[in-house]
Amino acid sequence: MTIKHESQKIAQNFYTFAVLLFLVQVAIGIIAAIQFIKPDFFILNFNIIRSLHINALVVWLLVGLMGATYYVVPEESETELWSIPLAKFQFWATVIAVTAVVLGYIWMGLNPQANTLVFGTRLLNEGREYIEAPRWADILIVVSVLVFLLNNFMTMLKTKKWTGIQGTLLGGLTFLALMYLPGMFYTQSMVKDQFWWWWVVHLWVEGSWEVIAGALLAFMLMKVTGVKREVVEKWMYIEVGLVLFTGILGLGHHYYWIGTPGYWLWVGGIFSALEPVPLLVMVWDAFRTTREARVVTNKAGLYYTVAHAIFNFVGAGLWGVIHTLPQVNKWTHGTQITTAHGHLAFYGAYVLLILSMIYVTLPAIRGVKEYNQSRAFLSFWWMTISMIFIVLTITGAGMVQTYMERLMGLDYVAVKTTYNMWFWILRAIFGVGFLIGVGIFVKDYFKIGKEPVPAVSPAAEKA
Amino acid sequence: MSNKAARNLFIFGSLFFFVILVILTFDTLAKLPKRAPEITEEVNAGKMVWHKYDCIGCHTILGNGSYFAPDMTKVTERKPKEYLKQFLMDPKSVNPKASMPKFGITSEEAEKLIAFLDWISKVDTNGWPPKPILATAAGVAGRELTSGQRLYQSLGCSNCHMINGIGGTTGPDLTHVGSKKDRVWLFGHFKDPKAYVPNSVMPGFGHLSEQELNDLTDYMIALK
Repeated sequence: MTIKHESQKIAQNFYTFAVLLFLVQVAIGIIAAIQFIKPDFFILNFNIIRSLHINALVVWLLVGLMGATYYVVPEESETELWSIPLAKFQFWATVIAVTAVVLGYIWMGLNPQANTLVFGTRLLNEGREYIEAPRWADILIVVSVLVFLLNNFMTMLKTKKWTGIQGTLLGGLTFLALMYLPGMFYTQSMVKDQFWWWWVVHLWVEGSWEVIAGALLAFMLMKVTGVKREVVEKWMYIEVGLVLFTGILGLGHHYYWIGTPGYWLWVGGIFSALEPVPLLVMVWDAFRTTREARVVTNKAGLYYTVAHAIFNFVGAGLWGVIHTLPQVNKWTHGTQITTAHGHLAFYGAYVLLILSMIYVTLPAIRGVKEYNQSRAFLSFWWMTISMIFIVLTITGAGMVQTYMERLMGLDYVAVKTTYNMWFWILRAIFGVGFLIGVGIFVKDYFKIGKEPVPAVSPAAEKA
Repeated sequence: MSNKAARNLFIFGSLFFFVILVILTFDTLAKLPKRAPEITEEVNAGKMVWHKYDCIGCHTILGNGSYFAPDMTKVTERKPKEYLKQFLMDPKSVNPKASMPKFGITSEEAEKLIAFLDWISKVDTNGWPPKPILATAAGVAGRELTSGQRLYQSLGCSNCHMINGIGGTTGPDLTHVGSKKDRVWLFGHFKDPKAYVPNSVMPGFGHLSEQELNDLTDYMIALK
């Protein structure tokens, strides 16, 4: 597989930035893990480290999705991108804005008083989880996303090939852009603040992002296994449909305890209990398609794609549903159980999604059919095994916390600093294992297609 | 099912559920004012302070946040305000083991923040956080409590102090307090903590009756 349109190469800029941010995010995650053991470790306090850890994650996933979209849309539209200079401008504008925001966080970490009010909004950090970026940066992000959407819609309009995959992909991206807006106004009530904040966070990760994931999963299965478009697209519609049917009102599971009316316990409980269903259909879809494929050249690409489907279900689905019912959530809400779910869900649903898109499309961008796949498998196992143990240790910590703090009434600090200490130590060690996996992946990213292929596999010869 | 039918089901089904969400949102926003006290200027100013220092980067509030430090939803019910104020301005001065750094929070900022946290503690959260089972179960199932123990519970002493591993870490551990302090010290300290420990942020309990103070002191003495 090689690229058909020169402009698809722009994807590589976005991938590179995403991959480097991924490395930074995980390195910062280890600092955060050590701060659980020793809070005054490092020059920046935990709040800044955590803001960097989760913001780097969100940004690199978004940048990765943009790269993937710039690859998919010309391919599906069978034409060059509407404007390459615009895409390049959008890329560099994003890099500069992100760098400015990061420097702002660090500045605030060194001098908390620097986070002053400017025109009624915070200069450096809005102090709202995940959407810490100040308002001026919000506006730049919106402009960047609008430019990005414009470029892709104009590309589609050139040939008007409204394939299901790219329609769903761009629909999901438009939904994503719209759902950033509820986080862009100030409310005096913390209840309303969190109410709208969840619109952003939930309707991103359990709404629009899953729609995008469904579209990209369909694209990758089609490219890697050569299965028919009609079949993957039909299942894609069913999957993303179920994602939104359950996910939109599944938002209710965040409205149990934040001061919102009691009927959300019913709405959230019922719909979020069904949220794993579409993710399970995706797993089944991935396996069914893979079984039908006789010859697969890009084994690593397929491997990551199927792993993404599996861990999307395990992380976002299973680890979410265990504490989604209000009767359980009453005790686990706000504990490390949520952290465990967050880690496995983001890894399975989105980290592996972007990595699989890279493995499926990068060889073509670099113009090679075959590449040395051994590092891809090595990094996969380092990352996946480490992440499984990270999640198990945090889940253990969450169970201890739920039992001792919430059920027995022990003090938060006592539980954290004594009973859970071993879990923090083990988590930090597995964190280093994850960093090693990411290191292997980053090396692989820069090497793919730029070194000789060692031995050609029999399957590839036949192909 | 044809692809077109699947596509239409996806689009119109999703729109249907989104419309329901919008309707529920309107209903919820209309009901919110009745579920919390009025927001005064001071409460709003306190919320701004909360954002300024990125408190959510470590703490949770209404259970949402960073899980690194205690939840702040009911903190003003659990800790004396004077303690909170001093802690916010200089955490280690009142609790040497505190992990929280000194951010340079001013006295006015601390007061506004406490007003905001007080507002949060009065929001109707459908019963969250639930009372720990052990705290609810104490004194039932034939375990008769002494009047000192009952007072210890009803006054919320365990919010700050620990006995046998149960209770807060804000104040000193009381597990063996009976072998460290005598009756006169304990009795006098309850009435006016600052007279015995100059930097103390413990509220005085001079408003209690002589009998109640004696009961509490008896309980403390028994903790050998």
